[in-house]
Amino acid sequence: MLKEELKTTAFSARIDIKDDEKDKYLKDINSMFEYIEILQEPDVADLKPTTHVTELRNVWREDIVKPCHKEVIDQMLNSAPEREGVFYKIKKVIEAQ
Amino acid sequence: MIRAKELRTKICSGEVKSADVVKECFSCIKETDPKVKAFLKLNETSALLQAQQVDKNENKKYGLLEGVPIAIKDNIMIKDESMTSASKYLEHYISPYDATVIEKLKDAGAVFVGRTNMDEFAMGGSTENSAYQKTANPWNIHYIPGGSSGGSAAAVSAGMVPFALGSDTGGSIRQPAGFCGIVGYKPSYGLISRYGACALASSFDQIGTLTKNVLDAALLTSAIAGKDYRDPVCQPNDWIDYTSTLNDVNILKTLKIGIPKQLFDYKTDLEITKYFNEAVSKLKTENVQIVEIDIPAYKYVPALYKVIMCAEVSANIATFDGIRYGYRSPNGVSLNDQYSKSRSESLGYEVKKRILFGTYVLGAKNYHRCYHQAQKVRTLLINQITQAYKECDFIFTPATLQMPIKFRETLSEECDIFLTAANLTGLCGITVPCSFTANGMPMGVHFMGSRFSDAKLFAVANAFEKISGFDIDKYPTI
Repeated sequence: MLKEELKTTAFSARIDIKDDEKDKYLKDINSMFEYIEILQEPDVADLKPTTHVTELRNVWREDIVKPCHKEVIDQMLNSAPEREGVFYKIKKVIEAQ
Repeated sequence: MIRAKELRTKICSGEVKSADVVKECFSCIKETDPKVKAFLKLNETSALLQAQQVDKNENKKYGLLEGVPIAIKDNIMIKDESMTSASKYLEHYISPYDATVIEKLKDAGAVFVGRTNMDEFAMGGSTENSAYQKTANPWNIHYIPGGSSGGSAAAVSAGMVPFALGSDTGGSIRQPAGFCGIVGYKPSYGLISRYGACALASSFDQIGTLTKNVLDAALLTSAIAGKDYRDPVCQPNDWIDYTSTLNDVNILKTLKIGIPKQLFDYKTDLEITKYFNEAVSKLKTENVQIVEIDIPAYKYVPALYKVIMCAEVSANIATFDGIRYGYRSPNGVSLNDQYSKSRSESLGYEVKKRILFGTYVLGAKNYHRCYHQAQKVRTLLINQITQAYKECDFIFTPATLQMPIKFRETLSEECDIFLTAANLTGLCGITVPCSFTANGMPMGVHFMGSRFSDAKLFAVANAFEKISGFDIDKYPTI
């Protein structure tokens, strides 16, 4: 991984990395690349990937909005660093033109 | 400290008062924990109140763990209590509901003593990655207790509580149990609900038990296992009393134990090899048949674990965004900047490193070569272990290949591969202490069983415990 790739990965992961931390992250993450190489060794072309050890399959249902008690809504919103009414308050997503 | 099963019997018969037991716990904690630092938070007042209620027992109903004190790893939710997962991100978080295991423990009458230390979000094997404190091994406070459930292991080992809950994603219950000389059990994937536990890697995570003996592990599992509609992988089954199979005196006589020949490929501490061989001899004396099994894919375990775990970590930890709960940075200038700064300022280095590696292996350009390939190699490991179970009932290895190390030293990558294999394959595993080494530290052995063979696993571990020669009544002097 190069410095530029660390920058794009860190943006995807929403991790802010300071300039003086970059070398340590690069050194440690690059040493983990060995794992990826080790896993290329066995011939597994004919095997199916395992995501879960259970035999469960995904089941779809309609997305139905159900009513929720006011106390529960309040309890959830009160955990937020900032709220306004029944909403989480965050910074502006789309800047005004 | 009396063990849980015995305590429950004495509390129910009125011979012992739960409040006295709880007071004894806190007296031990006050004396010992300043040196061990197993607990992040103590609930002395509420625990005593709960115990006094038990002692009144107005409805004369006795739960499975009536009045018995328990410690809970700080990544399992108890309603209206803090849960930090040993992270600054969740420093002020209050759980809005009970985890399923907590609901079940409340029904069973257990008394909650406090929350135990761990590596931040369970990422680590030494409990040094906690954002709050380092926990010491009670057998020698200059050594690590293991991790990530190091606080739970140390608390039980030092006799501060009779038992504790932990979570195990890659050996996080069984490795510290091995290092601290107690019994650590990870159930088969899907046996115990994970609802209300802070997720690390969802396809590996399981809640499990840390106890002084196998009987208590079986008892605690009986109280918390079983189906839960809120955890989709939790398999439906009727209630099982896991203590009921423990008295099978003939279990060893018909048993076939497999020892992987790959065990000899790794550098192992000399004393571990010596005492493991002694344990094998003891099993042979009981007419257990020992067979050699061949699982070449063991060599991929560390790489498999790192790639898949980090990928799942990057997805799970994405939920910590500083919007709905947890830490929010005051320094963000835009929404993206606020996400990034909130996470960077509150998460530890190890967590951030794993998120970054996981994000990389899941990236569109890398996914096929990294994550998808790892999932296929995971299938290879599962196939080889399934094949091995045609030749044996349980796989037997040392719990770890290395003894506990001092703080700031590094464990070898292969130290707990025989534990991690159980997480990758969804199997059940239990570590049982077997011996003290020359420097007075305990070591353990590990039995791994096929998926949902947990009842038989307890029976075998219990039978081994009886012939191991390990003195479970011995407690460390701190």
